[in-house]
Amino acid sequence: MSLFELLRLALSRLRTSRLRAALTMLGVIIGVASVVALVSVGQGTTSSITNRLAGLGTNLLTISPIGGGGASSKLTLDDAGAIARLASIGGVAPEISKSLTVSAGNTNTTTTVVGTTPAYPTVRAYEVWQGTFLTDASVERDLRVAVLGATAATNLGLTASDLGTQISVGGLPFRVIGILQAKGGSGFQNPDDQVIVPIGAIQKYFVAGDTVRTIGVSVSDPAQMTAASSAITSLLRDRHDLAPTDTADFNVFNQTQLLAAASSITATLTLLLGGIASISLIVGGIGIMNIMLVSVRERTREIGIRKAVGARGSDILAQFLVEALTLSLLGGLIGIVVGLAVSALIGQLAGWGFTFNPATVAIAVLFSLAVGVVFGVWPARQAARLDPISALRYE
Amino acid sequence: MAEAIISLDRVSRVYEMGHMAVPALDDVSLEVHAGEFVAILGPSGSGKTTMMNILGCLDRPTAGAYRLAGTAVAELDDDGLARLRSRTIGFVFQSYNLLPRTTALDNVATPLLYQGVSRSERAVRAKAALERLGLGDRIHHEPTELSGGQQQRVAVARALVTDPALILADEPTGNLDTHTGAEVMALLHELNAAGRTIVLITHDADVAAAATRQVHLRDGRVVA
Repeated sequence: MSLFELLRLALSRLRTSRLRAALTMLGVIIGVASVVALVSVGQGTTSSITNRLAGLGTNLLTISPIGGGGASSKLTLDDAGAIARLASIGGVAPEISKSLTVSAGNTNTTTTVVGTTPAYPTVRAYEVWQGTFLTDASVERDLRVAVLGATAATNLGLTASDLGTQISVGGLPFRVIGILQAKGGSGFQNPDDQVIVPIGAIQKYFVAGDTVRTIGVSVSDPAQMTAASSAITSLLRDRHDLAPTDTADFNVFNQTQLLAAASSITATLTLLLGGIASISLIVGGIGIMNIMLVSVRERTREIGIRKAVGARGSDILAQFLVEALTLSLLGGLIGIVVGLAVSALIGQLAGWGFTFNPATVAIAVLFSLAVGVVFGVWPARQAARLDPISALRYE
Repeated sequence: MAEAIISLDRVSRVYEMGHMAVPALDDVSLEVHAGEFVAILGPSGSGKTTMMNILGCLDRPTAGAYRLAGTAVAELDDDGLARLRSRTIGFVFQSYNLLPRTTALDNVATPLLYQGVSRSERAVRAKAALERLGLGDRIHHEPTELSGGQQQRVAVARALVTDPALILADEPTGNLDTHTGAEVMALLHELNAAGRTIVLITHDADVAAAATRQVHLRDGRVVA
């Protein structure tokens, strides 16, 4: 018998017992849908975390004092200058920040005012949307100029046409020279809600001393991240007069390592979610086997008749196996559609969008086929082995 | 003379019941030739059913040789038996044994399905067989929508559709009233008149009287 004939037989059989077929498929539908949805959620989380970390700057080393910023900080502008002279360093952006009230006309907002250097956009992966960023000249002369983060600009009611206007930062007039491109992404700290001024200006007017909150360093070659990190560590230990036994009073934070760690955690998470979901697929498969066994018992007489009129054992085996496969594959396909719909919905709600992953779908199809074969073979063999004489007499 | 369609040579069928050996058929020899209408007659327990199973290639003898249409049945495996049944025998059962929730057309076409006949040809041949038996207007009815007599005629159509050498009828009138039973017997007669070989198995002497030859079974032996 050709596969086509078997399929026709299976479909007409399923049509005569629709409710049963639907309920049997439900197990597979739920199994496949949860595998597809959970794996896609796992992948969405992974890409969302990876993107957010990449948004912070990929070649980034962040040096921060241990014990937080403020008075206990031991990092100085001179440290930043010394780091800049090391090999394979792309840019150094020391930061001094303070929360201040900023106003434009009658609009007030409280935001973080960051004093830094022209290397800041390169190091922190910002793009300038309008105007210019801080120039070397403005930093050298401690000019009262400001670059607005996208959110800060919106909060102040300023747009592209407002470049050059005066705003008040902590009570002092500053001139707006640029607005940054929005980075998006929301976390505990919105990277777009800030006002950037020359580092000298913030020291002169708002924060005394030359200790810095952090020093951002971009490494010119991503392969040199580790080398650069240890070079900075030994340089700073030397400058801070630390004995080899002393614990460091600063921390060099490597963005790439964080990225790798986060990726491996989310990959494990995806695997875990998929694993849990595939348990429900196995349960669905057992449902198919259960129904097929009942079906073989119920249709004993039919099997006897078919054998009497010339069906071989292999014909009966194929008939029941194709029936089980039809159930599992049909369930699998519906499950994929449901799973994709659910993952699109979750992607929409969580904000990482929807990415169609053909590999997941292919694996789901293969998995449901395998379920059909594994859980369909045994009932089908039982059917094929029935003795035609007793099957014909079976009531 | 041409070789017999059925040739049983000292056939026995012994069932093992625990430690006991129960002979259901004991040293039976029988020949049926093309065009004959033979009734195998016997009370219950006489070995009729075993005879039917052996003749129908649903079971194998434990001793002796059975040749059906020139093929030695003992040498065949299960698939070989299935193929022989498919090509050589048309069954008519007491309880019709039609496939449930399946139209008359598909029921009649089922033996052809297992011969690998194409779908379109199956439909043509099944329809022709049903029309020959006066069921041309019932081809899309399911068994539950047909009377007993109609169901048995569908079963006869199914037996005929493969154009088998032998029709094996097991109590074909057992579930029918006298009138309908007589109609079915008349039908078998007609088929025999057209040259079809028929073996009828029954306990009813009146039914057996319709056959051209009677074989009496008693306690697993041919007595007359």
